[in-house]
Amino acid sequence: MPINEHFEENFNAGLSSAIVFKQPDKLNDCRSSPKFKPIYFEDNNSPENIMIETKNLTKRYGSLLAVDRLNLFVPKGTIFGFIGPNGAGKTTTIKMLAGLIEPDSGTVLLRDMDISREPEKAKQQIGFIPDRPYLYEKLTGLEFLKFTADLYGVKESVFLDKAENMLEKFSLIDWKNELIEAYSHGMKQRLIMAAAILHDPKIIIVDEPMIGLDPAGIKMVKHMFRELADSGVTFFISTHTLSIAQDLCDKIGIIQKGKLIAIGTLDDLKIQAQASSGDLEDVFLKLTREESLSPGYPDIGGVSP
Amino acid sequence: MNEILTLMTPRLLSFKNKKGDNLSRLFVFGVIGVIFWGGLFAVSLRLLSYFQSIEELGNILAWKLLSMMLVIYFSLLVFSSILTALSKLFLSKDLLLVHTMPVSSYKIFCARWIESAVDSSWTIIIFTLPVLISYGIIYSAGPFFYAMIIMVLILLSLIASIISAVLVMVTVIIIPPGRIKSIFVFLGLLLFLLLYLAFRVIRPERLVDPEAFGNFLSYLKVLETPSAPYLPSTWAFDAIQASLTNVSPTLFLNLFLLAACAGAMVFISLIIADAIYMKGVSKSQTARKTLRKAKVTKNPRILSFLPTHVQAYVIKEIKTFFRDPTQWSQIFLILALIIIYIYNFKVLPLERAPIKTVYLQNILAFLNIGLASFVLTAVTGRFAYPAVSLEGEAFWIVSSSPIRLKTFLWIKYFIYFVPLLVLTEGLIIATNILLAVSPFMMWLSIITILFIVPSVVALGIGLGAAYPDFNAENAAQAITSFGGLIFMMLAAVYITAVIVLEAGPVYRIFMSGIYDQSIPVSWWVWIIGSFSLAALISIFTVIFSMKYGARHLTKSSHRIT
Repeated sequence: MPINEHFEENFNAGLSSAIVFKQPDKLNDCRSSPKFKPIYFEDNNSPENIMIETKNLTKRYGSLLAVDRLNLFVPKGTIFGFIGPNGAGKTTTIKMLAGLIEPDSGTVLLRDMDISREPEKAKQQIGFIPDRPYLYEKLTGLEFLKFTADLYGVKESVFLDKAENMLEKFSLIDWKNELIEAYSHGMKQRLIMAAAILHDPKIIIVDEPMIGLDPAGIKMVKHMFRELADSGVTFFISTHTLSIAQDLCDKIGIIQKGKLIAIGTLDDLKIQAQASSGDLEDVFLKLTREESLSPGYPDIGGVSP
Repeated sequence: MNEILTLMTPRLLSFKNKKGDNLSRLFVFGVIGVIFWGGLFAVSLRLLSYFQSIEELGNILAWKLLSMMLVIYFSLLVFSSILTALSKLFLSKDLLLVHTMPVSSYKIFCARWIESAVDSSWTIIIFTLPVLISYGIIYSAGPFFYAMIIMVLILLSLIASIISAVLVMVTVIIIPPGRIKSIFVFLGLLLFLLLYLAFRVIRPERLVDPEAFGNFLSYLKVLETPSAPYLPSTWAFDAIQASLTNVSPTLFLNLFLLAACAGAMVFISLIIADAIYMKGVSKSQTARKTLRKAKVTKNPRILSFLPTHVQAYVIKEIKTFFRDPTQWSQIFLILALIIIYIYNFKVLPLERAPIKTVYLQNILAFLNIGLASFVLTAVTGRFAYPAVSLEGEAFWIVSSSPIRLKTFLWIKYFIYFVPLLVLTEGLIIATNILLAVSPFMMWLSIITILFIVPSVVALGIGLGAAYPDFNAENAAQAITSFGGLIFMMLAAVYITAVIVLEAGPVYRIFMSGIYDQSIPVSWWVWIIGSFSLAALISIFTVIFSMKYGARHLTKSSHRIT
């Protein structure tokens, strides 16, 4: 199949618009490889299994095109890592997914709910963890959990057990009745995570998950995210820390200058980057360097030869 | 010196880069400033001309006014400089970065102190000038006088700001900076309250009573006693007085005293800064935050009729309010206002008034609706207007939660509406009882306030949402912003409109009652029309303000989160 047709077919199926396949022959070779599982070929990609989907998502800040016609989807139980250089459009994308900013055009579907049309219903499905832990400093940790539990409709009868369980998991139980203003940066980050998970969201959106956490905290969070993903929770994680993306994520998307330049498993990305060996860092640097050197970025439906 | 200038460049460049923004805001503020300045100038000129027309007494009054103004100017500067110096020297977010740079701590102190001095004094200097210029005109002063008053004001500001900076530096060594701010805000309010109460206890209304005139003369004698000679404000007064009365040696001696004091204090403060500023900064970084115990129980039963997400916001709002001393300490201010307000009505000598008492009582009761509404506007401006901005950088929690911003605003609205309604109705009922008004006037006041409170609170919440400042370090400052000014102006226009619409019909009904006349049908149409229009304006204000706030907050939340 000619590469353009191949791409067109995927795009029409509502899949990633910007997957850059450099060598059709290699692609064909890979398809036969058991390791190669492009995101759109998986069995769990039936529409009812798709938890996050963006269609032509675009955001401008004045003359700056922060996110340019982003098309992707994430199936249930997947930990999707979103990486890219500084100013690539990661945080803007995350904020559009969480309903914090509205796109200029395009849609965000969370479990088939358009976040622009049904923001409350869609947000009810989400747990959002921002990169900076700004909280209500004059509440205690437990009070903050109660506040979020009430906002998300967690029943009062189950709240205390769930909250204490969360605080225990995040090593905050001894601090539950202290004002948040006394917490360290890492403790605040852990409290936000506990609050985001408390209402059993189906989707968790995370911006830089490990900032401020100590090594034990990072290990615990990784373990918890994996456990939740295995139980069917879908993660969309934006990060700069490539080792975390490599260790934790099932699928990775690379964004640069607002465009999705590559998407797939680590192995897929290696193929796209023509890097037979090396870790995500090499793949990332190769892909982003190539893209920044190329005269133009591939448009929707367009494929670099 | 170069390093000090370099340290100040971020501030200067930020100012330069910001200059292009919001020209319309700058224009509105400029126009209001010029009007206020002009008004102050006109009033001062009129007052001083009047003083001049009173033989002997006139000069004493003019000099006393000048002396009092300079003492107030100096004390205001010391107090406002304490808060600015504290922020600039110990609480600014960029301090950590600045202190990692290879610059001596006394130079950092110096740069910060200059910023603090400029910030805390420029408005006070500008708005003191019209009064002093009036003195120059009335006393036919030469051009040197005008140059001299600018020099005097700058020297006074320098002395006040350096005293504050040194005071702050020394205090930080003993108390953590976070606490000092609360303490000073509290002390300031307490001071204000005491001064206000003291003023009310003097009962200045007695001064218009001829029987008390003997006391007034003896009071003036007290006024003639000289001020404390060691206060810089006294040197400033002596210098200005000497300049106006052409006594050169006194003028130069006092100018020299001011300049020498300012110079010496700068020198001493730099030595102190070199010795302890860094210690204070270090201490402020390591100071342990207050830990408080609080238990989470079930939501209070009294709120159980509300949906859980509304309960969540109500509880959060109340808890954060009472745990922040800079917030709840302002309740003292409100209490003082209420006590003074009610006390004013209690001491009114209605029985000695030449106008018929029933008439006067009811006129006052009607005017009282307007006065109470202005008190309501002030309290709304202080508490309800900053309610959205108070979410601060934690606003992402609201944006990402499954609650519409419109719902969030209405929750905020009702949190403030209920206590403000109780406060204003309480005020109006208490004062009407003291005035012994007719039942008609009592009901009219209660119902009018019932319409005014929702509208003024909606204006506060709506405009506070339309012009949020999520980075504001102090909620009290929000009302001095552009949005705050718009709120004050619109609230004043709305209250005036309601009062004007009601005034005619109320007068007609009242006079008909007094003279036992019947009201013709055509007048009833006019009366009902006026009241309906006032009600419609109120309903429109609520709906429009809240919609405007929700729409703008949605837009701005996309920019800020």
